[in-house]
Amino acid sequence: MAQHAPSGKSPATWGVVTVLLAVAIAGTLCVPIYARYMPKLGAFPFFYWFQLIWVPVAAILCWISYLLLRTKKPTRSGGPRHGGGGAWR
Amino acid sequence: MTHLDPVAITIVIASFLIVTLIGFASARWRPAEDPMHLNEWGLGGRGFGTFVSWFLLGGDIYTAYTFIAVPALVYAAGAAGFYALSYTIMVFPIVFIFAPRLWSVSRVRGYVSPGEFVRGRHGSQGLGLAVALTGILATMPYIALQLVGIESVLTVLGVGSTSGNAFVRDLPLIIAFAVVAAYTYLAGLRAPALIAFVKDILIYLVVIVAILYIPGKLGGWGHIFNTSAVHLKKVNPATGKPYGNLVVMPAGEWAYATLALGSALALFVYPHATTGVFASKRRDVIRRNAAMLPAYSLVLGLIALFGYMARAVPAVNADVKAAGGNAQLSVPLLFAHMFPSWFAGIADSAFIIGALVPAAVMSIAAANLFTRTIYKELFKPYATPAQETRVARLASLLMKVGALGFAIELNKTFSINLQLLGGIWILQTFPAIVIGLYTRWFHRIALIVGWAVGMAYGTFEAYRTPGGGQAHFGSSTAPVFGHTTYIAIIALILNLAVAALLTVIFRRIGLQDGYDETRPADYVADPVAPPAAGAKPRTRTPAYSAAPVAPPSPPQHPQHRRY
Repeated sequence: MAQHAPSGKSPATWGVVTVLLAVAIAGTLCVPIYARYMPKLGAFPFFYWFQLIWVPVAAILCWISYLLLRTKKPTRSGGPRHGGGGAWR
Repeated sequence: MTHLDPVAITIVIASFLIVTLIGFASARWRPAEDPMHLNEWGLGGRGFGTFVSWFLLGGDIYTAYTFIAVPALVYAAGAAGFYALSYTIMVFPIVFIFAPRLWSVSRVRGYVSPGEFVRGRHGSQGLGLAVALTGILATMPYIALQLVGIESVLTVLGVGSTSGNAFVRDLPLIIAFAVVAAYTYLAGLRAPALIAFVKDILIYLVVIVAILYIPGKLGGWGHIFNTSAVHLKKVNPATGKPYGNLVVMPAGEWAYATLALGSALALFVYPHATTGVFASKRRDVIRRNAAMLPAYSLVLGLIALFGYMARAVPAVNADVKAAGGNAQLSVPLLFAHMFPSWFAGIADSAFIIGALVPAAVMSIAAANLFTRTIYKELFKPYATPAQETRVARLASLLMKVGALGFAIELNKTFSINLQLLGGIWILQTFPAIVIGLYTRWFHRIALIVGWAVGMAYGTFEAYRTPGGGQAHFGSSTAPVFGHTTYIAIIALILNLAVAALLTVIFRRIGLQDGYDETRPADYVADPVAPPAAGAKPRTRTPAYSAAPVAPPSPPQHPQHRRY
């Protein structure tokens, strides 16, 4: 997927984000990776525990991507974020 | 097969009344200066932060599909039903990539629906209309799926299922739906946004309790998986093949992957999903939620496993059989048999509210589409915001009636097909919306023809696919070159191929393209406060009334005054 660099981030950052998100999608799109019984985790066949574990893995990859693309420090207090002329990101 | 359970029914009615009160009260939540504006009624003031958006999007995306249809498929066919988990894993990276651009351009231009974006971007009224009609058409079966889900719960509760008269039989459902329609009419998106809190808390509670309690009572996960494995190996007399497998077989991998991918791509272009996105306050809210919403996917995965748990309870199997093999009853029955009445009542309430919230959001989303892309474009170009809001309110009522028709007409054995059918249609708007976010390479007329081809092929293919005991619309997959594939994906490829070919031809013969009213900077804009009135789009009413939810805004954002 072609990504531009709209937020003033370097192409390298966009490259990393693209790879992270592609891994997140591919992990569950490539069914042969996990369409198997073994190894089991407890009573769970691999097919089930792999997908259930891939949920947080994909979430973490998204979170890292979010941190990489974020340009402003989040305001902890949830106070007004406008001001400072930074209306664009 | 079911008896009236007074305790459970009392709890369900009580929780429905509480939710109804919240629904009506939500009109006063974050009150707007001018409630008669589509940004208010249709998008809750466009001011939801990460927290509210998380509940709203979660409440909106995870529907009766999650609670009833997916476990029903797992109950009946095993691993094949787990594509839904794969789909909800994939959907958030996809949202992460595309949604911020759509949010930004819609914020700057004041769009409230994807149809308007397409019209503005491609300079084509026809394409905007196509997107709006598709959105409305595809949303109806999705709302119908919510109705089927509620119906399943009511059946297990023993409500209304005894009469032979269809109207009397469905009366509880019709009353419930009428009440939802009333507060949606009044409060708009604020109602489902606030009720989503109740829904999500109930769902998390029910799922966590069930997942900790039921396996121990049934003799452990080993026993649960084994029972299903034994059932799935048996030969289905209807098809002459085994019911399914505990793990997807190589022959089923392609169907599994295309169903997951197709559903994930489709979800993002569904009007109700874009409505949730548009209602966010900031660009960052979307990306942050893409990383936080998978908490619901985990819940979906666990709920899918309820299908196996239900299989391990002989009483559930007997009751499903008695109901003519309606697998959709399996989860409500599981709770009825495993838990005391009061907790079964809580679970049933969670499932019912879990279906009502998305149904409300979907009808609002379709109403927004109708109002801005059809009513305003074709009938009343100079409609005032108040007129728009009135039309949208009425349209949301009509959507619900239409969905009732869908619910009655189509096959209910596997209500999941309703959602998959909607997916086939809505995915045909993907090129105009998502590819349009990046490039205008495609010619507007090529996009329309591609869309028409995809729609025609998808509908025809779904029509002629038998399954589930009926001759038409029985399944959403069809064999292509020996691989069973989700019809939506084949239709999309066809759509893209036609659009690309025609684009080349049209450019060669110099057919005029439309005017793009958006600017590249629109797609990365992150206005913290609503845009100043000067940023209104061509021939549109001001994109914003004063936004009451934003903190006192600075006098202006000079960046927006580009016109």
